[in-house]
Amino acid sequence: MYHNKIMKLIDDVALKIGYGEIMGSTESVEFMLDNMKYIISVANNVKDLAQYVTTLVSKSIKARPTSAMLINSSRQILIKLDELLDKETPLDKLKRELPKLIDDISVKAKMAIDQAARIASHRIVDGDHIMTISYSRSVLRTLDYAIMDGKKIKVTILESRPGGEGIIVAKILDKKGIPTTLIVDSAARFFVKNVTKVLMGAEAVAANGAVINKVGSSILALNAHEARVRVFVVAGINKFSLETVFGELVDIPTAKEETLLPPDKRKEIGDNLKVFIPLVDVTPPEYIDAIITDKGVIAPQAVPFLLKEVYGALPPKLPEIKDLIAKILSKVQ
Amino acid sequence: MTTHTVPLEVIKIAEDIKNMKIRGAGRIARAAAKALKIAAEEYKGQEVKEFIEYMKSIAQLLVSTRPTAVSLPNAVAYVTSKLDKISKLTDISEAKRLIINKAEEFIEYSLKATDKIGEIGSRRIEDGDVILTHCNSSAAISVIVHAFKQGKKVKVYATETRPKFQGHITARTLLKEGINVTLIPDSAVRLVMKYVDKVVVGADTIAANGAVINKVGTSQIALAAHEARVRVFVAAETYKFSPATVVGELVTIEERSPLEVVDERFFKENKGVTVRNPAFDVTPPEYIDAIITEIGVIPPQAAILILKDMFGWAIKDYYHYITIGSEMEEY
Repeated sequence: MYHNKIMKLIDDVALKIGYGEIMGSTESVEFMLDNMKYIISVANNVKDLAQYVTTLVSKSIKARPTSAMLINSSRQILIKLDELLDKETPLDKLKRELPKLIDDISVKAKMAIDQAARIASHRIVDGDHIMTISYSRSVLRTLDYAIMDGKKIKVTILESRPGGEGIIVAKILDKKGIPTTLIVDSAARFFVKNVTKVLMGAEAVAANGAVINKVGSSILALNAHEARVRVFVVAGINKFSLETVFGELVDIPTAKEETLLPPDKRKEIGDNLKVFIPLVDVTPPEYIDAIITDKGVIAPQAVPFLLKEVYGALPPKLPEIKDLIAKILSKVQ
Repeated sequence: MTTHTVPLEVIKIAEDIKNMKIRGAGRIARAAAKALKIAAEEYKGQEVKEFIEYMKSIAQLLVSTRPTAVSLPNAVAYVTSKLDKISKLTDISEAKRLIINKAEEFIEYSLKATDKIGEIGSRRIEDGDVILTHCNSSAAISVIVHAFKQGKKVKVYATETRPKFQGHITARTLLKEGINVTLIPDSAVRLVMKYVDKVVVGADTIAANGAVINKVGTSQIALAAHEARVRVFVAAETYKFSPATVVGELVTIEERSPLEVVDERFFKENKGVTVRNPAFDVTPPEYIDAIITEIGVIPPQAAILILKDMFGWAIKDYYHYITIGSEMEEY
């Protein structure tokens, strides 16, 4: 009975992490970690704990497979859990050790954003007019630092459909006192020649320097490239994808029809109508001038260099999530 | 000076064009021609000279309703192009006849043009083509529907086209014909471009250098197509070519109400936010493979050919308007 309740909670968490209700990828990871702490605290035995944690991880990743930060944070936790199980750690110690790690991951993620944003703000000069897309905490922090340094900036934000996060971002920027212009996504090329820089966040950065971000990012970068406006991506290295070459994303996550069409609309247009509502797209490295990370500014093509420096080897010798889960579950049988 | 009153029906048409009850370049052009025809028919005076002044004032009234839609002045110029000739006439009924004939000629021509574009353009579509279109263009739809009716199995991606969602109308029209349509958000055009074989869009105005002014978003679609080596076709009637651009006039980009993008509450709550809402953007000729007109397919750079052929008389007029005084006419 109690067990079912936890499983239901996990499903709800995964649903919210899957694009839509929670905006940024950082927010979705924080949400997952908070809930993981809770399910660890209520587990009755080691076996349940292992099962809850692994289920939460696999369902969350399935819901948002493009989020590198979600995968990287999960891997860290699973590695720790696996180690603790090897040492036959008792339940009460697991309940102390794992939340400590989770808190540590959260704090480090916040610090990574702050550090990347601090560095990125150095690239902003007084009088800059910045164009951006969707909601990115890293970009918003960058703007905060620029203002703190006394730089006068203007921002043009794309509406960012599907989802329309641009409208929320416009409100946030207005509260910060930044002169803000809101435009529809189609008007990006029309206005890009009037801006001085394009700034965007990332859902993931692939090994070749390609950036996976909210759909519309790649046409924005192409527009900027054509207009010789520089494109900067602000992303902590916990957003670097160690798993796959994302440049060849096979399954682009898509949104539900309601995000594009109100329920009565389909009837009006025609029952045979199909919709395709991708949520992310891939910006090739050649349209990105720099990726600004917590470890410094790099050219997108230098991602492998940074990976090697941080993880000590290339490719980094890290276990895959599904192997870790299998290992953990076999140990609690 | 003429004292003849403007017929009510003409005023009604002018107003409908102004508040966009009549919309779409083709429909606006035909409505203007019809208004001129009615004005000529209803004219009660007997003096040819007065009639000319009267027609000029009607023409001016119509042209002023939508200063950015080139099809409107082109239609008006076409119908009134014989006014010089009329001035040599003495018979008022013959003068009226000339205007009425010209107006009818234009309306018929315009109606046939869209169909002809479809016929010509459909030859560029191959069986199995995946086509992307933007906004709602009767000329572009004509191309797609003609191809489909020839038995070519085509699949269409239609952008929803914010802020006014004209893509919904395009989707509905194509679905009614039985064509496979997928609606996408405007932001997905670059992602989708890798599945697309051809882009077919309409035009609002075509400039002397072959640049195409069309619904905002067209230019980034053309850019994404160019990057992906996907061909871009613009389907446009010849009356969308702008003679004024030959003499260097810039095409004004109409900026529409921000309330098309956000609601009033948004403005009340976020006073510092500006919303910009340009209706059109400019696609440079280098991203366009061909313009399909009712008189044939041309590369965009050959736009001047159409302009000289079809609007040579109008271009002459524009020259006179801007720099050259009437005293220099002998040049």
